[in-house]
Amino acid sequence: MTAWNIRPIASALWRNRTGALLVAFQIAIGLAVLVNAVYVVKQRVEKIGRPTGMDTANMIWVSSAGFAKNFDYKASWREDLAVLRGLPGVKAASLMSNIPLSGSGSSNGFQNRPGEVPPKETVGANNYDVDEQAVAALGVKLIAGRPFEASEIQPPSETYELSSQAIVTQAFAKELFPKEPNPLGKTFFDGLSKPITIVGVIDHMQGAWVGWDKLDHIVLFPRIKNGPAAIYLVRTEPGRRDAVMREIEAKLGDSNPGRLLRWVRPFDYFIHQSYLDDRNMAIFLVSVTSALLAITALGIFGLATFNVSTRIRQIGTRRAVGARKLDIVRHFLVENWMVTTAGVIAGCGAALGIGYWISVKYELPRLDLYYLVGGVLVIWLIGLAAALQPARRASAISPAVASRTV
Amino acid sequence: MFGYYLQLALRNLRRNPGLTALMIGAVALGIAVCVMTLTMYRAMSGNPIWWKNDVLYAVTMDFWDPQQPNWDKKPELPPEQLTYRDAMAVYASDIPKHKVIMHKAIGILSVDGQQVKPERVLTRVTTKDFFTSFDVPFQYGGSWTDSADTGPEPVMVISRKMNEQFFGGANSVGKRVRWNDHEFRIIGVRDYWMPLPTFYDVNNGNLEEPEDVHIPFGWNVTLELQSAGNTNGWKPEEVNNYQDFLNSEMVWIQMWVELPDQAAHDKFKAFLDNYALRQKQVGRYQRPLNNRLTKVDQWLVDNNVVGNDDRVLVGLAFAFLAVCLLNTVGLLLAKFLNNAPMTGVRRALGASRKQVFFQHLVEVGVISSIGALLGLALGGLLLMGLRALYTVDPTDAGGTQALAHVDMTSVVTALALAFFATIAAGLYPAWRIGRIPPATYLKAQ
Repeated sequence: MTAWNIRPIASALWRNRTGALLVAFQIAIGLAVLVNAVYVVKQRVEKIGRPTGMDTANMIWVSSAGFAKNFDYKASWREDLAVLRGLPGVKAASLMSNIPLSGSGSSNGFQNRPGEVPPKETVGANNYDVDEQAVAALGVKLIAGRPFEASEIQPPSETYELSSQAIVTQAFAKELFPKEPNPLGKTFFDGLSKPITIVGVIDHMQGAWVGWDKLDHIVLFPRIKNGPAAIYLVRTEPGRRDAVMREIEAKLGDSNPGRLLRWVRPFDYFIHQSYLDDRNMAIFLVSVTSALLAITALGIFGLATFNVSTRIRQIGTRRAVGARKLDIVRHFLVENWMVTTAGVIAGCGAALGIGYWISVKYELPRLDLYYLVGGVLVIWLIGLAAALQPARRASAISPAVASRTV
Repeated sequence: MFGYYLQLALRNLRRNPGLTALMIGAVALGIAVCVMTLTMYRAMSGNPIWWKNDVLYAVTMDFWDPQQPNWDKKPELPPEQLTYRDAMAVYASDIPKHKVIMHKAIGILSVDGQQVKPERVLTRVTTKDFFTSFDVPFQYGGSWTDSADTGPEPVMVISRKMNEQFFGGANSVGKRVRWNDHEFRIIGVRDYWMPLPTFYDVNNGNLEEPEDVHIPFGWNVTLELQSAGNTNGWKPEEVNNYQDFLNSEMVWIQMWVELPDQAAHDKFKAFLDNYALRQKQVGRYQRPLNNRLTKVDQWLVDNNVVGNDDRVLVGLAFAFLAVCLLNTVGLLLAKFLNNAPMTGVRRALGASRKQVFFQHLVEVGVISSIGALLGLALGGLLLMGLRALYTVDPTDAGGTQALAHVDMTSVVTALALAFFATIAAGLYPAWRIGRIPPATYLKAQ
C-alpha cells in the first residue's frame, strides 16, 4: 500500500483531528438519518400506492343534506338519482351510505357460523349500504356472481338491522372461509347470528380507514342509506369528470330549497386527505434529509478547503520533489475518504439503532441491510464529490511555492 | 471593549464572505427547521389546558367484552367513551365541582328570512359545565343553566365564526336560529377558542377546530340524536329503536370532571368503583375492575395523540440542528485558525488569552444573531409551506388551519434554544484560538 501513502496521510490527518472529527460526526448523523428516512419513506410511498380496486379517476361524490321540516327524503333521492343518471357522460350513479377511503365509515364483525364465537373467529369488515348501480358506479371487478337487482334494494333501516344478501370482496371471503375456493352462495352471519348470503364476489376494493389492516374487507348490502342526508356516487366516462361536476352543481344546486347541496367533490379529494399525513411525512423526510446531506457535503468541502489552504507550502514542496498532480489529488481524496469512513462506521451503528427503534414503534419489519449498504455508498460518493474541487485546486499549486516565503 | 470587538468581528466576517455566508446559512437553516418542527410538535402534542392539568380528568370505565380488551395494543385501557346509561348514572354524582357529558352531532344551521345560505355545522351536544370546565371564553352572553340540560330548553351557544357569518359579528344574543328544523335562541357567542390538540374529544382528528354550535345535552332524547363521531360496541344486541340504543352497550359519550383536590378525586374514584361493583351484580362489568380518572397530559399519551411520526420529526429536527452546529464549529475553527497570524500579533502585543477568547466569542455572537434572524424568517416561510401541505381545500376552514396560528412561546423557545446552542458551539473554537502560542506565527512573518 505504499503507493497510496496511507500512513503519512493518516498522520497528517491526526495532527488536525478536531476538524476531521467534527466532519466524521456529521457524516455519522447523515448516514443514520439517510438510511432510516429512505426506509420510512419507502413504506409510506408503498402504502399510498396500494391499488384501490375502484375507478377513482372518474368518480365524483355528492353530498346532500335535507333539513327542512317538510323535506321528503324518499322523493328527493329518487329525483336526484334520476337527474344524475340522465346527465351526459355519466356511466352510473348510486346512493351509498359512506365514502370509501374517507376515514369515516361503518364496520361490523362477521362470523362463518351462527351462535357465539370466540373473538378470534370474528372477521371485521367495512360495510356499505348501496343500491343496484353500485358495482358499476364503483368500477370494481366482479369475479363471481352478479350485482344487486333493483327489486332487491331494501328501504332505509331505522335500526341497525343488516340485509340478508351481500356482495363481498375476495379478501373478506377468504378470511371467513379459508378452505372454500368459491365463496359464492355461501352464508355467513352477523353478531346476532342473522344469516347473510353472498350473491357476488368482488376482486378487490378498499374501505374506510387507510390505516386498518382490514381495509380490503368489504361487505356491500342492498339497502337505501338512512336519511335525511344522502351521499351519491357518480362515475363518468373517462375524462368527463370535471365537466360532469360543474353540471351537477348547476342541476342540483338549487333544485330543492329544503336541502343543502353540501359539496360535489372528486374522489381524489378524499384519498388525498386520507393519506395527507403519510404524504406530508414523506415530503418532510425527503426535504430535511436532502438539506442535511447538503450541509454535510458543505462541511466536507469546508474541511478539505481548509486543509489545502493551510498546507500550501507543503504541497508545493511535495510537487517540487517529484510528486505528480495525480498524487496530490489522491492524497486529499484518500484523506477525505478516511474521514468519511470513520463517520460511516459510527453511522452504521446509529442507523441500526434508530432503525430498530422505528421498526418497533411502527411495527414494521426490521431495517433491511441493503438500505445500509446503499446509504454507505451514497455517503462515500457525496464525500468524494465534495472533496474533489479542493483536491484539484491543491494539485494546481505550483512547485515554485516551496522556494518562496509567504 | 465590546464595541471594538464588534467592529473587529464585522471586519473579519467581511474578509471571507463565502465562508461567512456558509456559516450563517447553516445556522439559519438549523434554526428554521427546529422552529418549524417544534412549533408543529407543540401544536400536536402540547397540553392546551395545562393550567388545569391537576384538576381536570377524563372518566373511563371498563365494562367491555370479558373475552378481549377494547384495544389490543393497550389492553390496560378502558374504552375512551362511555355508554349513555353509564354516563347518565355517573353524571348524577354531586362529588365533582364540574362535570361534563357530551358528544358530537351534525346539524344544519339557518336563520329564517335571511339571505345567508344555511350551513352544516358540527355541534357539541353537552351539559352546561363544558364552558366552565374548559375555560371557554365568551364574546357575548354566556352559558345555559342546569334546567336547560334536563329541560330541554331551546338555547344555543354559537362560535364567533358563525356569529360573523350569520349576524355580521353583532351581538346576536336573543336572536332565533334554526338547527335542522328546530328553533333555538342564542344565549351566548363563544369568543375565539382553539385548544390544540382538541383534547376533549380525541375520536376524529386532533387538529380540528372546536364545533361551531353547542346545544344542551337534554336534547338527545327529544331529537333522538346520535353521535357524528365514533360509536363503538362489543356486544351483539338487538337495537330496534332509540330507547334500545340508549340502553345498549355502545359507547359514544365523552365524560370529563373537575375535581379540585385529592380528597374529591379519591371520593369520586370510590364512587365509580362502587357503581361498577353494583353493575357487576347485574351481569355487566365482567372485566377486572378498571375505572380511570385520567389527567389531560396522560390522556393525550394514552390516546396516541402524540404519534410516532411526531417523535420521529422532533428527533430529525435535533439531528439536523446537531449537523448544522457541528458544521458551524468546524467552519469557525477553520476561519479562526486561518486568521491565526493576526491573533499571534495581538497576543504578542499584549492581548490576554481571555481577551482573545472574548473577541472571538463576540464574532460567534454576531454570526448566531444574524443566523437566528434569518432562521426565524425562514422558519416562518417553512411554516407557511407546511400549512399549504396540510390544506386539502382552501375553502374548508377546519382542521389544520390551526397550524397557521403560530404559538409565540414555542417559536421563542425554539429560537432561544438554537441561538444558545450556537453560542455554546462557538466556545470551543474561541477557546482553542486563545491557546495558540503566538511565537509560531510571528516567526513565519
